[in-house]
Amino acid sequence: MKLEGEYIFDGPREEVWEILRDPEVLAKALPGTQSLEKVAENEYTGQMHVRIGPVSGVFTGKLVVSDELPPESYTLTVEGRGAPGFGKGTGHVQLSEPEEGKTLLQYEGDMQVGGRIANVGQRLIDTASRSMIGQGLDSLNNALQARLVGEVEGIEVEYVPPSEAKFAAGVARDMAKEMLPPPQTLGIMAVVALVALLLGYWLGSRSQVDSD
Amino acid sequence: MTQKHVGRRMTRTEDPRLLTGQALFVDDVQMPGMLHAAFLRSDYAHARLVSIDVSAARERPGVVAVFTAEDMGDDWKHGPPLVSPPPTVEDIVFHSRTHVPLVKDKVRHAGEPLAIVIAESRYIAEDAVEDIWVELEPLEAVVDLEKALDPGAPLVHDDLESNLAAHLVQEKGDYEAAKAQADLVVKRRIYIDRGAAGAMENRGIVAHWDVRAQQLTLWDTTQAPIPIRNGLAAMFGLSSHQVRVIAPFVGGGFGPKIMMYYPEEVLLTWATLKMGRPIKWIEDRRENFFATTQERTQVHYGEMALTKEGRILGVRHDFLHDTGAYDPYGLTVPLNTQSHAMGAYDVPNYSSELKVVFTNKTIVTPVRGAGRPQGIFLAERLLDIAARELGIDRLEIRKKNLIPPDAFPYEHKIIDQAFAPLVFDSGNYLATLERAAAAIGYEKFIAEEQPRLRAEGKHVGLGIVSFVETTGVGPYEGARVTVETDGRVSVATGVGTQGQGHFTSFAQIVADQLGISPRDVRMVTGDTAEFHWGTGTFASRGSVVAANAINAAALSVRNKVLKLASKILETPEEELELADGQVRVADLPHRAIELGELAAMANPLRGAVEPGTEPGLESTDYFGPKYGATANGAHAMILEVDPETMMIEIKRYVTVEDCGTVLNPLILEGQIHGGVALGIANSYYEQLVFDENGQLLNASLADYLIPSATEIPPIEVLHEETRSPLNPLGSKGAGEAGTIPVPSLFAQALEDALQDYGLEILEMPMSPNRLFELLHEESKTP
Repeated sequence: MKLEGEYIFDGPREEVWEILRDPEVLAKALPGTQSLEKVAENEYTGQMHVRIGPVSGVFTGKLVVSDELPPESYTLTVEGRGAPGFGKGTGHVQLSEPEEGKTLLQYEGDMQVGGRIANVGQRLIDTASRSMIGQGLDSLNNALQARLVGEVEGIEVEYVPPSEAKFAAGVARDMAKEMLPPPQTLGIMAVVALVALLLGYWLGSRSQVDSD
Repeated sequence: MTQKHVGRRMTRTEDPRLLTGQALFVDDVQMPGMLHAAFLRSDYAHARLVSIDVSAARERPGVVAVFTAEDMGDDWKHGPPLVSPPPTVEDIVFHSRTHVPLVKDKVRHAGEPLAIVIAESRYIAEDAVEDIWVELEPLEAVVDLEKALDPGAPLVHDDLESNLAAHLVQEKGDYEAAKAQADLVVKRRIYIDRGAAGAMENRGIVAHWDVRAQQLTLWDTTQAPIPIRNGLAAMFGLSSHQVRVIAPFVGGGFGPKIMMYYPEEVLLTWATLKMGRPIKWIEDRRENFFATTQERTQVHYGEMALTKEGRILGVRHDFLHDTGAYDPYGLTVPLNTQSHAMGAYDVPNYSSELKVVFTNKTIVTPVRGAGRPQGIFLAERLLDIAARELGIDRLEIRKKNLIPPDAFPYEHKIIDQAFAPLVFDSGNYLATLERAAAAIGYEKFIAEEQPRLRAEGKHVGLGIVSFVETTGVGPYEGARVTVETDGRVSVATGVGTQGQGHFTSFAQIVADQLGISPRDVRMVTGDTAEFHWGTGTFASRGSVVAANAINAAALSVRNKVLKLASKILETPEEELELADGQVRVADLPHRAIELGELAAMANPLRGAVEPGTEPGLESTDYFGPKYGATANGAHAMILEVDPETMMIEIKRYVTVEDCGTVLNPLILEGQIHGGVALGIANSYYEQLVFDENGQLLNASLADYLIPSATEIPPIEVLHEETRSPLNPLGSKGAGEAGTIPVPSLFAQALEDALQDYGLEILEMPMSPNRLFELLHEESKTP
């Protein structure tokens, strides 16, 4: 499966790069992340508990960062698995500044999924992935705004991340927009779980790379 | 004897029980202390097992045991092949690779079991499955049938040089010489994809080793209780009399439940023997998509050579058959394909090269149709294309080529699924086709209705095809018929029942022989404690092999009844008749004795036993046909395609079946309706879609589309009756007839409906999406 898209952050590129380094923000932005550990230079493992609808389970995964070129680009290789199945993928992320104070994030990659997620949710993966990534990035952008406000005002502004339930509801809403009939909800939820996981590693680990 | 019940349209005696929830299914079995099993199955289609850690699962409260392949020690064995391997002939290659109870070294298809968890409840067992940590090293999967044979393709079985499981060539006459003389040779690549059987009831097993009785009981949704009993007894060193397999009511078999020994059957038996507690496992729907066998994928390169008058000179097809990860069912399915690749036609020259291919997919064994739909699809498609190219009417070209009624027994000069010569025993193929053409109104539709509807802008098409169905294969079945002292009759046979109406149609046979009502027959099927010998319910053989065994046993009992009654009534046997539950003197009906009374007298008192006396009015008999009977038929349909949505509406569906003597027309109609429904599913709805990694992408009933009552039209079922000379009842099987011709019929009707587009359908299943793609691929505009 191909994944690609872009997102505009309301902040300068260095700040976006920074926030991608902050494990706490990233873990909060994606609820359910239980742990992220550095096991080698540019290699991380982590666990994430996902309970969305009828699909639940702990995903365990590994992430490798390569071809790092701060603050412009990097490559991620992600592998995760748990009761709802497995996924692995490689993605390239590119950051640029199309205008002052804006950062364009572009990503493209390939993902392969298997197990329950692939078996019951296949035809919805595209939609669900887009929604998951979009929401995750929205959430990060909100965190970025909180940080920028804090910098200007010289105080710490608390970033309130979306709850797990709110996150799931957001994905469900996006899926509903695609006019899907109800029986597919289960599949969507499974996909949501995996994408959340992968995104979690990707962003979460990214932050640790630089904060270490 | 007056035939009163066989042939009667009688409602099913088992239905009141089934409809009021009084029938036992495996999941109804409850036992004190019963445990529940769940399986850890591989998410990968092809992977090396690196390590497996079940310690956390074992610690979960409520878990009684967790086993992996290593825990089985010497009991871990490859399953035995289900059918005899082909004879060792020079030009037959066959690599037997049978499945294992639990993966030890390498996963070969998604869903292959890695561990079994046994717990106090299914909930706990399922949770514990998630506690297991398994390290699998993914390998490149073998999915595409043609790429699987490329040099350098990854190997499903590392010890083989390639993924070739079998290779076999069949020749009849000289195809190349025939081709040289032909006016027309049509060549096409034909592809048929995989589907599921989709029985309403998934598989299920309850296994119980009673230590004190030293008795193993297995309730199993199998189509073959006796072979399962024999196999498990042999595997675990028990006497066959220590093992009782009960196949109670089963919610649909359709082939995959003949497969044995499924890993679950072996594992539950092994575990209960070890633990001494009953264990239940009921397959869930997602498991069913991986763990229960499937069928159909084949790629054919077909050719048909004809004269310009449309007479077939020869057929050639080289084809690949997907057997999945293992090949326990040998060559049965592709040999069936060859047996049907000449259809119902007199084809003097035939050549076929078969390659069976291992892939990283669920094992293939017969699914209702069992290789036959693919063969008929090839023959009918090539004939349709030839008719078009020669400008001959499709009905005419069929009539020209059908095997004529005086050509039976028709020796095909190739081998069938049992490696025996393929012979079609009897039939009047022309009659079935003409009857179907008349019923659908072929001439009038072509001449008047279709032009009128087309003028209205409707895309309406007709299909009409012929087919054969090899049925009623051996080796044998048996039955025991007993007159009880209350005048009712008990019958036991070894075959299991999965909805075929055996309780009724078999009772009708007994009723005719013994002069009783079929409702006074108590039928037992599928319980090895009731009947010891037999094979199973498969290959459309129940109404042929089991029915004739029952007929033979009932006839023996009839003779015993007459002999004893003759003595008691002091009348010669020829002057007696059996009717209304009694034996009476035909001319003097008041001189009679009730059957029950006679049965009591047949159990002699002390001192009355002479040497050679057998007690009771009971007999056990067997029937084994010389070779299988071949049914035939013709299907015709009219359908309309909506060119915007590609959705179809079937306007009319007519079948004409000749399955020899009809035991019960109502039950036969039910069989045909069900068969046609699967055929329609195989043509336009159901398809198992795998990605390049061997992941099944539609393993749920939300995505795998089983047609429902709204998609299945009313089906008109007509009969021709050509008795089979191979058995006393004259019956032929009908279980698969409904399914076999439907894909070929669909293809023809779709092409006819969309004739302006010059469409050629060379694949199955189709779907609205696929039809849309085909029309746009070739940018065909009317």
